[in-house]
Amino acid sequence: MFFRENPVPARELSVNLRSPRAFALQFAFVSFLGAVVYFAWPKHVEAGRLVGTGAAQNLFNLFFLGQYFLLAILAPTFAAGSITGEKERKTYELLLASPLKPSMILFGKLFSSMAYIIVLILSSLPLMILCYLLGGIALSEIARAYIVFFFSAVTFGLLSLACSSYFSRTSSALLVSYLVILPLALVCVALTRTDPAAEDTVTRDFISIAILPPWCLAIWTIVTALVTRRLLRPPDVGSEGKDVVDEEEEMKFAIGVVIDRDLFPDKLFAPAKRNDLMPDGTNPVLDKELRSEIFSQGTLMLRVVIQVSMLLSIPLMAVFLFWKPDQASNYIAYIIIFNMLVGPVFSAGSVTGERERKTLPLLLTTLLGPGRIVWAKLIAALRVSTVLTFLLTEQLFLAYIFVPQLQAVFWRLAVDLLIIAVSCLATTSIGLLCSALARKTSVAMITTYLSILVLFVGPVGAKMYFQRTIDSRIEEDRIEVFSVLSPFAAVFSLPEANSDETRASAGTGDHAVKASSSWMIVGGVSLPLWSVFLLFYPPFCAVLYGLTYLAFRRRWWRAGIE
Amino acid sequence: MIEVSHFTKRFGEFIAVDDLSFTIDRGETFGFIGPNGAGKSTTIRFLATLLRPTSGEGRIAGHSVVEEPMAVRKVVGFMPDDFGVYDGMKVWEFLDFFAVAYEIPRDRRRTIIGQVLDLLDLTHKKDDYVNGLSKGMKQRLCLAKTLVHDPPVLILDEPASGLDPRARLEMKALLNELRRMGKTILVSSHILSELADFCTSIGIIERGRLLAAGSIQEIQRRLRSHRVLRARVSDESADRAASILRDHLSIRSVESFDHSITAEFEGDDDDMARLLRTLVTAGVGIVSFAEEELSLEEVFMMITKGVVN
Ligand SMILES: Nc1ncnc2c1ncn2[C@@H]1O[C@H](COP(=O)(O)OP(=O)(O)OP(=O)(O)O)[C@@H](O)[C@H]1O
Ligand SMILES: [Mg+2]
Repeated sequence: MFFRENPVPARELSVNLRSPRAFALQFAFVSFLGAVVYFAWPKHVEAGRLVGTGAAQNLFNLFFLGQYFLLAILAPTFAAGSITGEKERKTYELLLASPLKPSMILFGKLFSSMAYIIVLILSSLPLMILCYLLGGIALSEIARAYIVFFFSAVTFGLLSLACSSYFSRTSSALLVSYLVILPLALVCVALTRTDPAAEDTVTRDFISIAILPPWCLAIWTIVTALVTRRLLRPPDVGSEGKDVVDEEEEMKFAIGVVIDRDLFPDKLFAPAKRNDLMPDGTNPVLDKELRSEIFSQGTLMLRVVIQVSMLLSIPLMAVFLFWKPDQASNYIAYIIIFNMLVGPVFSAGSVTGERERKTLPLLLTTLLGPGRIVWAKLIAALRVSTVLTFLLTEQLFLAYIFVPQLQAVFWRLAVDLLIIAVSCLATTSIGLLCSALARKTSVAMITTYLSILVLFVGPVGAKMYFQRTIDSRIEEDRIEVFSVLSPFAAVFSLPEANSDETRASAGTGDHAVKASSSWMIVGGVSLPLWSVFLLFYPPFCAVLYGLTYLAFRRRWWRAGIE
Repeated sequence: MIEVSHFTKRFGEFIAVDDLSFTIDRGETFGFIGPNGAGKSTTIRFLATLLRPTSGEGRIAGHSVVEEPMAVRKVVGFMPDDFGVYDGMKVWEFLDFFAVAYEIPRDRRRTIIGQVLDLLDLTHKKDDYVNGLSKGMKQRLCLAKTLVHDPPVLILDEPASGLDPRARLEMKALLNELRRMGKTILVSSHILSELADFCTSIGIIERGRLLAAGSIQEIQRRLRSHRVLRARVSDESADRAASILRDHLSIRSVESFDHSITAEFEGDDDDMARLLRTLVTAGVGIVSFAEEELSLEEVFMMITKGVVN
């Protein structure tokens, strides 16, 4: 009944699935997986003999992890924009006013946004079967993996839809979906991962089959109830269908963190509103972005972001900073991941947003040059993203002061902070460039996320992949060069807290291995990897900024808007 | 003041504007009319430096629209047909934002913002959020924005759309006021009666081609080879008036009905004055005597039906 008479999925599917982009993506996905299999395929396998057990397990693992995270990353990109998109295109009220039942709308949106992802995942089935043929994997194992995929996919989709119905902009919905989904995905993977080394398959199977589905069903019920209620009785949005955000009003009903522009640290990213004219010489765009537009989508998004990130930081801090301070790098990695998620939200929409809201013709016919506009956009986005990210470094300061092992490497704190700062700069610069090149914010956001993922995680991932599957060290060396792109590689190249003790006790063997990957030869001088990272990004970001300026000038400022 | 020569704009294969040329002199109010999709907004955005022409040139106050966008922006106040406003800004902040963007010093800003708010009757909305304003209010706010840097040239794309009847009248009065202040105004609309009252000249565009341009009278004259006179005379002189007219050299035909007489007239204004004098000296009691003007609607309908070409 839902399928045949429901116009929502019918329309969207015909748009989504028939587009050449969908085919291109699917093609890229399958060829990527194919390449992964091709390189990892055991070279010494002989026809008809099942020697590939270990390799098959490895591959299967890789597939499971890779696809699972792909799922977690893709689900929000499809689902988080599905209701906010209607709001942005101003068709939301038409949809609400139609005789469609809220549950139909919800189901239609869910189905149409998840269908493509499910198609993608199913298209990897033949490759999974190939692993099965190598031997060492039971069919039940594969079935279990697909059960986990299915339940997770629907859960992620529904959560993204819930975000989509609560926010008015796609970028906010996308960010909050990620903040909710990625930790869930991590927990789920940790509980259900297909580790060949794990002896305890029973618990794993039990969790996958008997615990995960009921939990997911519970989440589905709650989210469905919330979203349908929201669709049935939308909040008062005013005659023009736009929210007018009254900050004071909103703060009265706020749960948890309250943002106060007059207090530290909130005033760092949200300076108080003016109550008089701007002084002469102010960059009006910068002033507008920081004082007026930062809360234009309501403070809800920022409050959720701050609270979730703080909440997550508590267990991570306890484990990595106080309990096992020799793994402090993991906490820095968490901060960088947080910035990867948050940074683009404030930059990727900054040019496209003006276009979408039709304020660009007003802005461009003033006497503001392209340089001042782009600079203001960069500084505003950088400021918000950096302040939000550095809110999480408070724990780091505490740890370096109170934990003796960390005190011993106090200089590391400065490098950590620099790496975080440079990461903030990089995410913002990339976001701004994508925003100047794209036409729609959603496209800019997704391109930004992808580029950052490739730059930051790509080198590390490729290295891990080659280390696991290929013996020859040649490829690995070649890949090593790209490590300078990744802040994660930079952080993990730093000496850990009690490395001196390890060296003293375990001898130099282990340390030598680590050292080989944390040094890099640049122009004949051997430099630590982190310093190359720190030296590489600022000029690289300057180049990105130059490109952004040129793109903005060419596309919008001179050529005009079409 | 505004000069467009051979402006052509293509979107792919589609020719939106085809070889458009016209001039608007200083102090004129030029009404740009045409059906939907005619190319009005395209031309206007070109003049506002927002659109690159496929070919052709435009000049405003002597500055090339393509080569010197900054100089042009300084002298032009532009109001797009479809625009948005920034979130989280109050009315006065919005105006302050644009005033700063036009590099107006702070002490002058304070008076100017007060003045434009007053002029557009928005003073009571000063502290409201802009995205909470109604459509008509936003329209007025945008017009206020175009005035903050006191530009000699105003380019307004359908400024009256979304306004209520009272606000339309006020808008008309406002434009008249601005013309009196010596501003050159290019205003587009498809509500013709609105333009007829205060435009000193009009341009009619259809499917990207300019069909006619000039003052309304000029265009009328081109549309009709003759002029139409309508007179009302007193009871006893009706027949005498009709016979005098019938015999007059510059009259083609006469129709009389009751006390009103319609005649086709050929000649210039002097001839018409002479005719009137003849009638008066012949003792005809004249109640009214006037040339019947084509309404702008009629002109528009005739032209866009292809009567001219
Ligand atoms: N970016 C674009 N790409 C393709 N075609 C366009 C583009 N912009 C405008 N056009 C076309 O150019 C033509 C002229 O459009 P324009 O907006 O100038 O019309 P208009 O006279 O302002 O109409 P209206 O009275 O409806 O505002 C239209 O047929 C429109 O479809
Ligand atoms: Mg138009």
